[in-house]
Amino acid sequence: MISQEQLANTPTTHAGAEVMVDVRNLVKSYHHKTVVNNVSFAARKAEIFGVLGPNGAGKTTTLEMIEGIRTPDSGTAILAGLDVQRQKSAVQRVIGVQLQATTLFPELTLLETLQFFAALYPKALDPRQLLSDVALEEKAMAYPQDLSGGQRQRLALAIALVNDPQVLFLDEPTAGLDPQSRRMLWDIVLRLREQGKTILLTTHFMDEAQLLCDRIAIMDNGQIIALDTAAGLIGRLGAQATLDCWLDGRATKSDIEELEGVTGVRQANERYIIYTNTMQSTLVALLAYADTNGITLADLQVRVPTLEDVFLELTGRELRSE
Amino acid sequence: MKKILTLLYTNFIMLTRQRGLIISSLGLAIISMLVFGFLFGGSGSPKTLLGVVDQDHSAISAQIVHQLQKSDALQVNTGSSDEEQQALKDGHRNAVIIIPPGFGQQMVQGGAHLQVFYDQGNPVTTAATQLTVKAIIDGINRAVTHQPGPVTLDQQAVAAKDIREIDIITPGMLGMLLMWANLAVGIQLVNWREMGITKRLAATPLQPLAMISAQVVARLALSLIQGVILLALAAWIFNVHIYGNIGLLALVVILGALTLLAIGFAIASFVKKSEAANSVLLLVSFPMMFLGGSYFDVNGAPGFLQPLIHAMPLYYLNDALRQVINNGAGWSAIQTGVLVMVAWIIASMLVVWRAFKWL
Repeated sequence: MISQEQLANTPTTHAGAEVMVDVRNLVKSYHHKTVVNNVSFAARKAEIFGVLGPNGAGKTTTLEMIEGIRTPDSGTAILAGLDVQRQKSAVQRVIGVQLQATTLFPELTLLETLQFFAALYPKALDPRQLLSDVALEEKAMAYPQDLSGGQRQRLALAIALVNDPQVLFLDEPTAGLDPQSRRMLWDIVLRLREQGKTILLTTHFMDEAQLLCDRIAIMDNGQIIALDTAAGLIGRLGAQATLDCWLDGRATKSDIEELEGVTGVRQANERYIIYTNTMQSTLVALLAYADTNGITLADLQVRVPTLEDVFLELTGRELRSE
Repeated sequence: MKKILTLLYTNFIMLTRQRGLIISSLGLAIISMLVFGFLFGGSGSPKTLLGVVDQDHSAISAQIVHQLQKSDALQVNTGSSDEEQQALKDGHRNAVIIIPPGFGQQMVQGGAHLQVFYDQGNPVTTAATQLTVKAIIDGINRAVTHQPGPVTLDQQAVAAKDIREIDIITPGMLGMLLMWANLAVGIQLVNWREMGITKRLAATPLQPLAMISAQVVARLALSLIQGVILLALAAWIFNVHIYGNIGLLALVVILGALTLLAIGFAIASFVKKSEAANSVLLLVSFPMMFLGGSYFDVNGAPGFLQPLIHAMPLYYLNDALRQVINNGAGWSAIQTGVLVMVAWIIASMLVVWRAFKWL
């Protein structure tokens, strides 16, 4: 279980590494609705920092304020030592941005598109080399609308890299992609971290956050509700395993909470999620409980807790149902 | 420098690859020009049939009549007012000029006045006739203001010009081409905004003004190139002659393009969806295309339409183009049109300044 004290004591930086992105108390409201509410975090050099949350949590707005596209109502964002609002053009030279669902000039070929973006910066990488880095060299003369979803995202990534940025922003980079395309993009992102780039990415896929991100901020309703490594976040559940099962109406939540080793129970109608730190004895106790009370037990599944469980624990809602 | 060149080049090739834009501007203009040119003959129209009624019977009026009779472009008939008016109604005259009593006297003193009746029944010849008569009256006026004494008509203005339908339609097509090529800038910007391109550009060091300026320069270049192609085709196929100064013509083309660009930007300032931008564009361009005088003369249009027509920038652009191309007119003849177009630019820029959003 994650307590409020644990949340409050969440470390924002680790000592030693250079802080590349320092975000403090960002607030943004639209039409009297607070979309981003007092968001603070810091990301270090060569770190992949993930913002995980459901659609509408305020992830994109947060990123766009840090990118300088939107002006925050209050709060500051410092990138590579530069204030985003006061030194916007200097910041724009050191960042690379992949927007959610980028559409590009339909009249320009991939090569021309990259040449156009390259011309906007004082120093830029070779467009052809960039295309081959994202495995699109054969599409140099194609138009963006002729690309598949995965190819389009890779093009957007190549454009984001055109100025060899220190900080890279990826907004839902794998949304709508097939598994193979997702894996390909993950490989590229991991390679970029090896080159020392700081990467801020948003996602609503927990597997993506778990696999790619060094640290994860879980965002909901415009606020960061937890921030840690994936292992740290899951560790806070205090559970070694998760039991998913279906129990008929005679079972009660309080009975199950009494079973050996149980650290937490979530119930929705007749579906239960049971967190335990002693999987074997809890399992035995659960089976015995069902047996002695004549309760039907079905759909039993034992698994390792995931970020999904963390999100559910924190918000009482499922991430994926959004 | 490289950045500026890349911006210009990119904006320009993007325009040339918009098939719809090229077809609606240059394509439509060329097709219309060919259709009208071949339909109404490119070989030269018959002479303008002019009825002259001399009610003054002074030396000066006799001289005017004599000058008119000498003109190769005119076939002059003289008669009484009733006779000539009847001939006009019967379609035997394209226009009737009445020299009122006391005209010669007034000419010496100043304030002389001629009455002109046009045959409105045939819109094809009306425009040509009006231009010819206008040239005659210009000639008379010039004679009055600059050279007191015997009236001599400017033979160049009247006789050298064989104004045919194709000569009238060509500047009109140039005006229409400029409208389609430049008004669409509004759709372009709304599209960029809707597609998220402007947002992506906002994350780069590129200033929106730089991109917009490049777009404007690219559209002006496209306008000039398309204009040259149209006029070259007109000269080659139909022997359409440009009587005016080429530099002045280029200026009118650029000013017209800027006017329509400004209106395009104004449209993009208050329209959010590209579908809506398309509708607004059609709503603005179609009435202008027909009432702006590109295809036919609109001076004879019903009175209730006149305020609308005279509010249209394309009307003034077409008029200025005809003045320069057909009449060889100088700055003074296009002043009003230039002022109206500048007013449109200022008004549009005010809207842009108040309401335009890049993101």
